[in-house]
Amino acid sequence: MSKLQIITKGILKENPTFVLILGMCPTLGVTSSAINGMGMGVATMAVLIMSNIVIALIKNLIPDKVRIPAFIVVIASFVTIIEMLMQAYVPALYASLGVFIPLIVVNCIILGRAEAFASKNGVLDSALDGIGIGLGFTLSLTTIGAVREVLGSGSIFGFTFAEGVMPLLFILAPGGFLVLGYLMVLFNKVAKR
Amino acid sequence: MKSSLKNMVVVLFTITAVSALLVALVQDITKDAIATANQEAKNVAKYKVLSTTAEEAMVVADTTRHIGDFQITVSTVQRKADQSIVGYAVEAPSITKSGYADCIVLMVGFVEEGDGCVVNGVEVLSQKETPGLGANMTKEGNSLERSIVGKSAKDVKFGVTKEGGSFDALTGSTISSRAYANAIETAYAGYLWATGRLNTSAEAVEAAPSGASMTYDNSEPEAQKGESNE
Repeated sequence: MSKLQIITKGILKENPTFVLILGMCPTLGVTSSAINGMGMGVATMAVLIMSNIVIALIKNLIPDKVRIPAFIVVIASFVTIIEMLMQAYVPALYASLGVFIPLIVVNCIILGRAEAFASKNGVLDSALDGIGIGLGFTLSLTTIGAVREVLGSGSIFGFTFAEGVMPLLFILAPGGFLVLGYLMVLFNKVAKR
Repeated sequence: MKSSLKNMVVVLFTITAVSALLVALVQDITKDAIATANQEAKNVAKYKVLSTTAEEAMVVADTTRHIGDFQITVSTVQRKADQSIVGYAVEAPSITKSGYADCIVLMVGFVEEGDGCVVNGVEVLSQKETPGLGANMTKEGNSLERSIVGKSAKDVKFGVTKEGGSFDALTGSTISSRAYANAIETAYAGYLWATGRLNTSAEAVEAAPSGASMTYDNSEPEAQKGESNE
């Protein structure tokens, strides 16, 4: 597999949201607007790239039977450290992305990629996989967020064009399921060609 | 690597020990910086809610009152030029009505006008409401802010419009809006107390029992329910 393919497969063939169907909790929870979806996607991508690198580095030191608990401890500590550093030194960034950080600890995409890719591949490939899956996640979340925002609050990226006339349902959880479902159908239909 | 009892124990122990050490270390390093950053954000809000800046004005007095686990801080802000009082910036939590996830802490600016006072500005200091719903209270010019800023505080009814209050609730977020109104009420009571005008309208402070018996008014089925993570 070429280096470029590792990145593009994360966006299309192994898109985490629409194909692998991983990380559904943050997907439904934060995609009430396009900008929130994007924030969650970017924060996840940053953590994913770094956790993939760390896992690829230490994979040969960990006995097979305890690899999952080892990965969880590494990732959780890692995210906690990033959160504290952000809060201390870039409070402005923390103010906009801070709410997403704790959600990343429990994001199965991170653990899924550690297990499925980083624990079997080299450092560079793992980093590229992080970029690819991260991009795929960001794009999917931004799309879901944009659709829900347009249908639910009549705005896009915070720019309002129809206030108070759109069905609120799409901002709420049921609307999240609906949009996710229909986009998943659409994505897989288009991607199969 | 092949697993044996010995290497599993050793590796897991090492990983958890190193992780704990690193987290503790970073926590220690960043503790002061985080406190400073939070304090800084509060200071900025103090001047912002009174439409002034740290260059033009300064805080001359801070008075704090504790109610159970809650804390209300009233800062008197004075103009540097002629030492006249700009107004009062009050940091107040929602006491009797919690937000959807946690209590909401606001910074509210009161400017005296005649024998009453006008709400000059509101900044949200902390909230954990649902993104896209209750969290919209942090947006500039949201319906809650619009329904209170510029109003004379003694004419305000601290509740949402559908319950006879003065606050236009955020769409789909009645619980969050009630908590917001409650925090403003607490701030107003704090202001009255700090300026020695405490009278019957300060019931919010007086009536608020020790934090232990905080009531959650969830009598109404709420749109926000069901939107949870993990």
